[in-house]
Amino acid sequence: MAEKAIMFDSSRCSACKGCQVACKTWNLLPSPIELNSQKWSGTLQNPPDLDENTRLVISFDEKPREKYGVDWAFGRRGCSHCTDAPCVQVCPSGCMHKDEETGFVIFDTDLCTGCQYCHMACPFDVPRYHNVGLSGYNITVNKCTACIDRVRNDRAPACVSTCQPGALMFGDRDEMLKIAHERVDLLKEKGFEAARVYGENEMGGLHTLRVLKYPIEQYGLPENPQTSPLLGAMGWMKPILGVGAVALVGGLGISFLTGLGYHRDEMRYDEVNHDIIDVDTGETIRHIDKEAGER
Amino acid sequence: MTGHYCDFKNADVILTSGSNNLENHPVSSKWVQRALDAGATWIVVDPRFTRTASQADIYCPIRPGTDIAFYGGMINYIIEKDLWQHEYVEHYTNATFIMDEGYSFDPETGFFSGWDESKKAYDKHTWHYQVESESEWDTSEGGSFAWVKDPGVPEFTPPKVQVARKDPTMQDPQCVWQLMKKHYSRYTIEKVCETCGMDEDTLIQVYEAYASTGAPEKAGTILYALGQTQHTYGTNNTRIMTLVQLLLGNVGVAGGGLNALRGEPNVQGATDMAMLVFDFPGYLRWPNVSESPNLRAWCESQTYYGGFYTNKPKFMVSALKEWFGEHATVENDYGYDWLPKIPKNGGDYTTMGTFHLMDAGTMKGYFAWGQNPVVSDPNSAFNRRAMANLEWLVVADWVETATASFWRAPDMKPEDIQTEVYFLPAALIYEKSGTIANSGRWLQWRYKAVEPVGEAKPDYEIADMLWTKIVELYKAEGGPSAESILNVKWDYYVDGKIDPRPVAWAFNGYKVASSDMKSAKMDLLPAFAQLKADGSTACAIWIYGGYYNNSDAPLDPAAQPVGRREHDDPGELGLYPKWAFSWPANRRIIYNRASADANGKPWNPKRVLVEWNGTEWATRNDVPDFVFQTANADGTNTPVAPNDNAFFMKPEQHANFISYGLADAALPEHYEPFESPTKNTFNALQNSPLMKFADHPSAKKGDFGEFPIVATTYSITEHWQTGAQTRMCPALNEIAPRQFIEMSMELAEEKGIKNGDEVIVWNNRGEVRLNALVTARFRPLTVNGETIHQVGMIHHWDWTNMFSTGEVVNDLTPNVGDPNSFIPEFKAFLVDVKKA
Repeated sequence: MAEKAIMFDSSRCSACKGCQVACKTWNLLPSPIELNSQKWSGTLQNPPDLDENTRLVISFDEKPREKYGVDWAFGRRGCSHCTDAPCVQVCPSGCMHKDEETGFVIFDTDLCTGCQYCHMACPFDVPRYHNVGLSGYNITVNKCTACIDRVRNDRAPACVSTCQPGALMFGDRDEMLKIAHERVDLLKEKGFEAARVYGENEMGGLHTLRVLKYPIEQYGLPENPQTSPLLGAMGWMKPILGVGAVALVGGLGISFLTGLGYHRDEMRYDEVNHDIIDVDTGETIRHIDKEAGER
Repeated sequence: MTGHYCDFKNADVILTSGSNNLENHPVSSKWVQRALDAGATWIVVDPRFTRTASQADIYCPIRPGTDIAFYGGMINYIIEKDLWQHEYVEHYTNATFIMDEGYSFDPETGFFSGWDESKKAYDKHTWHYQVESESEWDTSEGGSFAWVKDPGVPEFTPPKVQVARKDPTMQDPQCVWQLMKKHYSRYTIEKVCETCGMDEDTLIQVYEAYASTGAPEKAGTILYALGQTQHTYGTNNTRIMTLVQLLLGNVGVAGGGLNALRGEPNVQGATDMAMLVFDFPGYLRWPNVSESPNLRAWCESQTYYGGFYTNKPKFMVSALKEWFGEHATVENDYGYDWLPKIPKNGGDYTTMGTFHLMDAGTMKGYFAWGQNPVVSDPNSAFNRRAMANLEWLVVADWVETATASFWRAPDMKPEDIQTEVYFLPAALIYEKSGTIANSGRWLQWRYKAVEPVGEAKPDYEIADMLWTKIVELYKAEGGPSAESILNVKWDYYVDGKIDPRPVAWAFNGYKVASSDMKSAKMDLLPAFAQLKADGSTACAIWIYGGYYNNSDAPLDPAAQPVGRREHDDPGELGLYPKWAFSWPANRRIIYNRASADANGKPWNPKRVLVEWNGTEWATRNDVPDFVFQTANADGTNTPVAPNDNAFFMKPEQHANFISYGLADAALPEHYEPFESPTKNTFNALQNSPLMKFADHPSAKKGDFGEFPIVATTYSITEHWQTGAQTRMCPALNEIAPRQFIEMSMELAEEKGIKNGDEVIVWNNRGEVRLNALVTARFRPLTVNGETIHQVGMIHHWDWTNMFSTGEVVNDLTPNVGDPNSFIPEFKAFLVDVKKA
């Protein structure tokens, strides 16, 4: 498999947020369910930012035009999947790692120590964590994985597969870059002078490429993203942290941590008896009572 | 739509007006983007700067409710600058036809000729053409209309074939062209801008860009939705867009057309099935007491003298044969008398009128089936109070909607309400099989994906249970109109269970003698052309003829045209004739004769729908929507050389600029909304003279002096309609958690409101509390010299739901409507706003 990329063309995006919903549903990420628990954000951007259960947010930014309307920039907040990924470099346990085939940055929940260094190192303010601020136990990272489970089975990431206007594309990075540059040329022709490709060389090259229609400030992206200077300091701490991580994992028990991950592939549906079975243990997790109308 | 979604990609210019197509019809974005990739220009005209507008090449603001002024000005511009498609207009429209001597329009009064003040209606005889000659249908043996004399055909006197007087030079002052030109000469750029509120440069930029599609090889498409239709003159809004499209030669061509983006997945199917009071399935007219009290009168009043609607008796008799089966005979007029007749005051039974009847205590029971009127209908609070007068209410839906729980709305007192409410849980679309029709008239078979939850049942099963019980009761006890009930043919069962497949046979049509529904041995008709008026064929809805016509496998939808899933694309125009079925007759672009010139040569060689090669219509990428050949007795066909009859659904087979079809205007004329911030400067009437229900006390007209802000309502892409379904999905609530009111920075400053503040919005009908979204996407407009503020509200919330609740914005909208469609005026009304 060649190096891959998701390409986001802001000039085609209609900001419908279908990608956000597809991301949540495919990756089984919950949404708030307490009555009216979400407050008015004052904008169409919802949720306002990435959070423990939100890997992708479409950002809205408007700059009034002289006469009518606004320059309305729709951006895509989420993991940029850097080539020189500081989160991978800083990760003490090997949880955060590169998928060698595609170049995407993925993580292994079982190995997460909850140190949160990856967030500190990220120039895009991306990784978020479960269970922060509660007991402090079981803090685990969450961020976009480019739906690696889909990609490895020759499918586009969920967000890409749902995009109607074709603002999201997925394919070989070379091909995506080519399309992005062609698009930028066209936008410039149409008078969008600030149009540019973002991600070709940033952080050694991103695997989430962006075509920006308006100036970069409207997308909340750093002009020249850099690895955090803290990373050097964290580098020498890494061996120590690594040892700590092993101890922690041992202490809590592997099986407990396993329960926190997403184990879609390890469940099997028995069509005859309508049982959901754990592949590893052979245990029936749930019986679906079809007669009673259960699904 | 005259076209379909995929066809947008063929357009040179796309004009979105009265629609927010990217947000509310996301799939349209795919095809619009393809047009843009090919170099198209996109114009969006909207009161506010939408997500759709964010991608357009040109954005033009407009005051809600002034579309006729906008398009009237465009017509004037096109004619003045000579940008119209001459050959198209001269050959395919009624521009050359000469109107009755008495036809006129008087801006001094605002009335067209024929206004009868005592009847408050138009006598429309002057809205017809001058007749040059009249002749009879040839009903002799071998004649075109020999079928009229066939045994079994109900007796009726065929209409007289009329040939209108014409002036091919279009100079006669009474010809349609001159009258239309004169009518819209009043719609100057200056006046349009004063009324609509945009500046002249922007308006001219829009007119220029869109009028460029008047070049014969160019195509322009108009995408519209409820922003056009939901006005007291909504039907005329739609019509004036048709006029523009005809002037520019944009109807019937690939990339053209007048394209209504329907608001729900199956609203097209619902309209086909005659959900409107005055309709009979397949866009026929439901019998009414004055015009069509018996079958003879129906045939005589409805059958056109020319064009395809000469066949209407065949459609009606075949439909009756399906309604009443063996009970329908020529002797009893095929059971026509058993159909209920719409009374003289039929308008009272339309949606808004229904609530007046409840309010008056006349209507005692009500079925709300897949609708949520106490949230989605205008003046919802009035509707809730009216419903409290009901003895019983039945709601069929898949969640407990606001309508089902109207009695516990925050403004209601449950202890005072005696209404018995029955809730029937209905299956969701994925829990039942059947067909769905999209905006492009494509019918597609869908299979059940999962079983319904709990006791939920498909609508057809609920209907069958009710029906069976009602028939049992009638048999046991008798009752009023017993024959109308007991003679109905109701045999849509497979293995003893109600099933959509026999219904599909009934919709497609079949030969009665050689078919047997019980044993599933069906002689299905290939197309509606085979329908007869002699009782030998049955067909419940003629337009669906041919969609389910494979008699070899009547139980297998996959073997039917409606089940097709092939990607062939002849001509590479996105027609996809083997994907699903497009009514009528699988035509993807209707009126496609007009895609070629008078000699049958396509206007654009790259967009060939049909082409005459000198001896026959050899290229037919789309199914011809005209008589392209005639069948001979020996089974061969004779090609029909190109003629001007491009619009064969009209009796004169020419598209209409002036028309007698609507109740309120022969040519669309600007009137102000029921509640308006300004005076109508185009004529002496402030409102359409036929605006419906304005006098009902519940409408409570608000005055501009008291309520100085123009309001409009709309949907956002994240939620659907009243939110009853989408607010049940946490993932959708999360991306749009709260309702809001959008307003300009200028208005917010004037009122001391900051972004995010809670505000109170009110008028004579109600009051709601919403969060403010202050944005430069809304701007005040200058209208007739005054600054007019506007606000917009989304309407997806009410008191129900376990995840997200809110206020009913439609408590504010006026329950007044259009005299043709009876659609309410949701899109333009007056309010005031203050910080809570």
